[in-house]
Amino acid sequence: MAEKGQTNVEHVGGVVRLREQHEKVVKDCESRMQHWRKVSGDYEALTDRLQTLPDQLSYDIMVPFGPLAFMPGKLVHTNEITVLLGDNWFAKCSAKQAQKIVDHRMKYVKNELDDLSKTMKNFEARVGFAKDLETISANKGDYVDIREEVGNDDAALTKGKQRIAHKPNSKPKLDVVWDLKEEDEEDEGESGDGGSRKGVMTEEELWARLDELEKLEELQDEQDRLSDNADMNGEDTSSSSSEEEKEAEAAPPVNGLSLKPSWSSVSDSKAPLSTDRKKDEDDDEEEEDNCLPTIFFSHTVEPKKVRINTGKNTMLKFSERKEQKEHSKRKKKNGHNNGHCHHELHKITTPADIYRLFVDVKNGEPIPRKSILKSRSRENSVCSDTSESSAADFEERRMIGRSFSHDEHSDTSDGITEEDSPTTVPLQLPSRYEAFSGTVIEKDPMPSAVPHLTISPPALPTILERKQEEVAPDVSPPQQLPKRVSKFKAARLQQK
Amino acid sequence: MAEAIQKKLKAEVEKYAQMQKDVSKSMSARQKLETQLAENNIVKEELDLLNSSNIVYKLIGPVLVKQDVDEAKATVAKRLEYINGEIQRYESVLKEMEKKSEQHREVLTSLQQEFQKAQGLAAGKV
Repeated sequence: MAEKGQTNVEHVGGVVRLREQHEKVVKDCESRMQHWRKVSGDYEALTDRLQTLPDQLSYDIMVPFGPLAFMPGKLVHTNEITVLLGDNWFAKCSAKQAQKIVDHRMKYVKNELDDLSKTMKNFEARVGFAKDLETISANKGDYVDIREEVGNDDAALTKGKQRIAHKPNSKPKLDVVWDLKEEDEEDEGESGDGGSRKGVMTEEELWARLDELEKLEELQDEQDRLSDNADMNGEDTSSSSSEEEKEAEAAPPVNGLSLKPSWSSVSDSKAPLSTDRKKDEDDDEEEEDNCLPTIFFSHTVEPKKVRINTGKNTMLKFSERKEQKEHSKRKKKNGHNNGHCHHELHKITTPADIYRLFVDVKNGEPIPRKSILKSRSRENSVCSDTSESSAADFEERRMIGRSFSHDEHSDTSDGITEEDSPTTVPLQLPSRYEAFSGTVIEKDPMPSAVPHLTISPPALPTILERKQEEVAPDVSPPQQLPKRVSKFKAARLQQK
Repeated sequence: MAEAIQKKLKAEVEKYAQMQKDVSKSMSARQKLETQLAENNIVKEELDLLNSSNIVYKLIGPVLVKQDVDEAKATVAKRLEYINGEIQRYESVLKEMEKKSEQHREVLTSLQQEFQKAQGLAAGKV
């Protein structure tokens, strides 16, 4: 506050000085114009004289004799005028020629006057502006300061990063995995959030995860390739964000995870950006202190309606908020996914709900789905009520991109994801845009392609979930049908 | 330590002031040239208005010396060129001086920072 006040005072002082300087310039212009006007008057008088002079051959005049005396004399050669051309040059010419020269000079003087008047106007405007600035600084005007609190910058950050910036503690998964093997404590310390989660894993799980991560990376590349081809807006975001999530969590990305960041980042990127812009604008404007009437503006993230590829042919449309997602994610982190969550979750209001809702039950326990985009076998899905509406809308590329990313993340062990997604995506395209009705339609559950890894509860996977996910891949492969088909391919086939 | 820096700072400041003076000198010389340029331009134009029947004089000291009109025109043109050249030269000199003064300014600021640090250290020590 004190600083603000100080800056304000300085600002006011600066503005005052600015105004004073402008006024100086204006005064200078004024004086110069005065000078030129005098010159112009002289020339006009000269013109008059030149016109009357040749009327007579000679005039009787009082000739100045020194500074104080005059003496009677005659003015002769009235038509012979010696003109000072400038720079010590003289020319003898007749009155008419002299007249011409005088006219020429008058033109020059006029030009100068015009320039000066323009400059003066310019600076007068600036002075006015500086005055306004002063009044604003002094909070005297009718200016209102509009402030907007800038929210968390995570969204912007996440959105911007393509190749994720590993969190300081989260090293590449491989490293983390290796470290974990050496010492759990070190791992936890190194990987930070991820480490804490991983600490719970066993060695076998770590190996499994290592494999998954490797595949994930491959999938990531694949996804990037695909995303480039697809030319989708949200794709990159989703992929990047999903990558981020992947890195951050150091776990096979669950659909929920990847979805969340992508959705939220896409929707939230606008918010932070706009807020940032607003903030910048505010900063650029006068620094109003608290004294100025201030309007506090909070930018609300417009819920983004996104279509999610919850499976091979399933599509969800929902809007979510990043905070909600994170919130739910955190909740999930802390707690194991419980069955009782399901009933509550049947009502979907945020994307996080979806993850909560779509839970695969394995061994009697609800296992969070890694990726709701992955089409799961209906049996595994707790929320298996899919409706046309949900499958309908597909927000083109964005969704495709998301599905890609999601599939990739979820299908770490299979490596089929990229193949699957193309097939699934086209199927969803024709669907119409509809708000999520809480049901997901799985038109064609991918047999083998269904990434077991995508088995995850609608909620963001928690550490435990991830653990389950890791286990899941080991378990799920046997569940898959003998032939693995990429979801893209499958979708294509289905389309045909 | 602080005192040494202070002395350095003073020396640099003096040098900088000197440079500024040079810069301003060059600036004023250039401005003079500009006015001369304007004047000669007017002379040239007015000479063009005259014809050969007029007699042109040049003021050399207290004497008005008769000149040929064409000769006068040529002389004025040459003078114009000369003035233009001079202005160019002064421009380049000014640029150089500006650069040098910039460098000096940077040196000054860095020295000032050092000085402040040293002062801070001294204050801390004390």
